[in-house]
Amino acid sequence: MKTPARLSFNNSEKSVFPYLFGLLFVLTLADSWRRVGVDLLVFFERQGRENIVKFLGGMFPPDLSSGFLALMVGPTLETIQISVMGTLIAIALGFPIGILATRNFSVGGILNEADTAGAPARFALRFSIYCFARGLLSFFRAIPEFVWAFMFVRAVGLGPFPGVLAIGVAYGGMLGKVYSEIFEAVNPRPLEALQSTGANKLQIFFYGWLPQVFPNFISYTLYRWECAVRASAILGLVGAGGLGQQIEISMRMFNFNEILTLLIVLFLMVAAVDYISAKVRAIL
Amino acid sequence: MEQYRLEKVAKVFSRQQIALAGIDLSVRPGEKIAFIGPSGAGKTTLFRLLNLTLRPSSGRLWLDGDDVEKLHGKRLRETRRKIGTVYQQHNLVPRLKVIHNVLSGRLGRWSTAGSLFSLLRPLDVESAHQALKQVGIEEKIFTRTDELSGGQQQRVAIARVLIQNPEIVLADEPVSSVDPSLATAIVRLLIEISRDMHKTLLVNLHSVDLALEFFPRVIGIKNGAAVFDLTPEKITDGLLEDLYSGHFPQNGEDDITDENPSPPVLQ
Ligand SMILES: Nc1ncnc2c1ncn2[C@@H]1O[C@H](COP(=O)(O)OP(=O)(O)O)[C@@H](O)[C@H]1O
Ligand SMILES: [Mg+2]
Repeated sequence: MKTPARLSFNNSEKSVFPYLFGLLFVLTLADSWRRVGVDLLVFFERQGRENIVKFLGGMFPPDLSSGFLALMVGPTLETIQISVMGTLIAIALGFPIGILATRNFSVGGILNEADTAGAPARFALRFSIYCFARGLLSFFRAIPEFVWAFMFVRAVGLGPFPGVLAIGVAYGGMLGKVYSEIFEAVNPRPLEALQSTGANKLQIFFYGWLPQVFPNFISYTLYRWECAVRASAILGLVGAGGLGQQIEISMRMFNFNEILTLLIVLFLMVAAVDYISAKVRAIL
Repeated sequence: MEQYRLEKVAKVFSRQQIALAGIDLSVRPGEKIAFIGPSGAGKTTLFRLLNLTLRPSSGRLWLDGDDVEKLHGKRLRETRRKIGTVYQQHNLVPRLKVIHNVLSGRLGRWSTAGSLFSLLRPLDVESAHQALKQVGIEEKIFTRTDELSGGQQQRVAIARVLIQNPEIVLADEPVSSVDPSLATAIVRLLIEISRDMHKTLLVNLHSVDLALEFFPRVIGIKNGAAVFDLTPEKITDGLLEDLYSGHFPQNGEDDITDENPSPPVLQ
């Protein structure tokens, strides 16, 4: 199939492109350094040092009083629940849209060649679906989950629900994009064989496509869940439930020793999730 | 009526790669035909046109009176159901169990929901077992497909065609990856199946001997064109020499029909 907008760099010809890109890269780097205000000296100046000492010193010892710990149980569970529900929604969005955003599923390649040959209307329809799916995923991804959370808090009110929605949408975009890349790299021969038995595309997908990439698929989804746990911990900063809400309160009250406790809880949580997903991967 | 009719069928891949340069062919139902010729001659491309995977770049192709140009969507899928293909590289799904690869021959007749369900709980173990028994590896039914040898995988691919129960069987170099004694057995099996079940059988063969021994009609393909179309006794050494001249056969034969030989596409 002809792919629209094919970019190819011909290596055999001498081209100025590499040099141009190189120069552009260096300039971008230099300018970014200046603008972002990278100033490492801050750590050595008196004011900066004092701030850091005050913050770090304030953190010790962590607040391990049973009262505070008991207070943490609910938000911790809530954070995990937000991440799980959010990731499920992300899969529910990212999986179907990701399939449609897979080029050799939707428009090109051996599964569309005969079906769209001499049928421009069919081709146009498939191409639009493909572009729409990719566009939608880009849109979901382009807005950070933090901003999604902020908007959903406005829309549905405070609490874990906007957090779940924010993770679901933002991560749905990321999952869908990477799913489509995983799907595109599949070996097309078994798909061709399935197609020649008269199977439809969905059947081909579940018999030939998904089985080939299954370990990758699960692995990446688990990785995204790990990220979602961290994300849901801070979404509370904008009022979307979970540990973040507590972090925000402690920050505002300058209770740095509570912050350390929260960080420890966060660390343990992420380590546990890490452990679980490593176990699952080992089974595959 | 003819089953296949080809008029000046040509296939040009992108970047001016001419795989078929205008083939005329007519096949009657129940015929058994062997195609021979050097690697790169266009045999695989011809089979992919015949099983409705590719479309001719020019010329016309009729299947049972239907102009394939006009087949799309559901009608295209229903027509594909009539044709079973055994591929050179088996083209099985490696991570699936044998039974699912065999049952995938049924997909054209199963509903989408039913076929998904079958991945969890195979719908027709009995038929799959029967088909595998016919090719002599019924004990492998629940093995993962990538644990089988090349020859065993080729049998699974044949079992898939048996389950599909098509009117036409196409086999693209079905024996190029197995040892000679097994090769004869597999060709014999294909012949028996098509004879007993009245199927049209078209086979690409690397081995001229097998073609001449088992097939009443042998077609020589070279440079994308048919150079002869004869009964085996009329095929002389001279014809064969011409067919393969300028070609140096390598061990293991070709594997040049990789899906997309074009450079990777930057999105
Ligand atoms: N998908 C493809 N893209 C580009 N060229 C192809 C493709 N498939 C086959 N060809 C070319 O077409 C010619 C015929 O190939 P093929 O049909 O595989 O021959 P055979 O099966 O007789 O060895 C070869 O030159 C091959 O390189
Ligand atoms: Mg070939």
